[in-house]
Amino acid sequence: MAGKPGQAIEEEDARELKLGEDFVKAKCLMNAEVALILQRKYEQLQTFSEDAPNQISQVFEKSLQYVKRFSHYQNPNAVKQVRDVLSRNQLAEFEVCVIGNLCPETVEEAKALVPSIAKKGRMDDEKIEQMIQDLATIKTFE
Amino acid sequence: MFFHIYLERNMQLHPRHFGPHLRDKLISKLIQDVEGTCSGRHGFVVAVTAVETIGQGLIRDGTGYVTFPMKYQCVVFRPFKGEILESVVTMVNKMGFFAEAGPVQIFVSNHLIPDDMVFQSGDVPSYETSDGSVRIQKDSEVRLKIVGTRVDATEIFCIGTIKDDFLGLIGNPGGGA
Repeated sequence: MAGKPGQAIEEEDARELKLGEDFVKAKCLMNAEVALILQRKYEQLQTFSEDAPNQISQVFEKSLQYVKRFSHYQNPNAVKQVRDVLSRNQLAEFEVCVIGNLCPETVEEAKALVPSIAKKGRMDDEKIEQMIQDLATIKTFE
Repeated sequence: MFFHIYLERNMQLHPRHFGPHLRDKLISKLIQDVEGTCSGRHGFVVAVTAVETIGQGLIRDGTGYVTFPMKYQCVVFRPFKGEILESVVTMVNKMGFFAEAGPVQIFVSNHLIPDDMVFQSGDVPSYETSDGSVRIQKDSEVRLKIVGTRVDATEIFCIGTIKDDFLGLIGNPGGGA
């Protein structure tokens, strides 16, 4: 990356939310959100363009398949609710999306997957538990 | 992880395209040029979602081509060290297995597979626990952690591990974990 000479480049580590200067303020997307965006773009291409198969890159196709397979929420409303619940807890963008993608079922699991949420007394177990339950409710009623 | 980010690019356009459809032409050329590419810095560009601004064009000396600075929004996929994600197994061999998460390939070496899982050759090569309760084979869904990335100009390749809490098999082809 664009490290200045003489300055050690900070190594990136998602567990400590070190994402490098390009991504630290970038908006993260959950798989379910990406699925919505890509699916819509895919449909647009199919309707408006005659040589659609040639315009779709391999990266696009693989990503679409991947997010469809691994998005835990299908309904656009549910996706929005998930983001609301997670954002309410003052989580960083990246943490929001990791939890949204992996849907941890227990407090231990959530802490193991996103160690940064338990650091600096940001969230106690009770809060995490509450958050997980909220997510589970959305999933049940989507 | 997928991100929605702003990027900039200078697009060169041949004078024959100048006319009422200049903007459309620029946008479709941009999409053709950047979608599907990969850079070590920003990861894989999956889809351009919006073009923010197209700046003033600048005629290049000698050629007549005009360079337009463009700002656009796009969805990118960029893997990070330490990130945990779900993936699909594509190949299993005695060295370990390969998995795919969207556009990126991840290799999990047999040193980073729990010790109680052993390689089984045969029609469908797999890693299995001795009691057969956990079985990783082609098309299994696996949750893994990225421990390293190798980045070159046009590709990103990752090394992953499943030797940690809450990692490993999440689903098998044909259902069941």
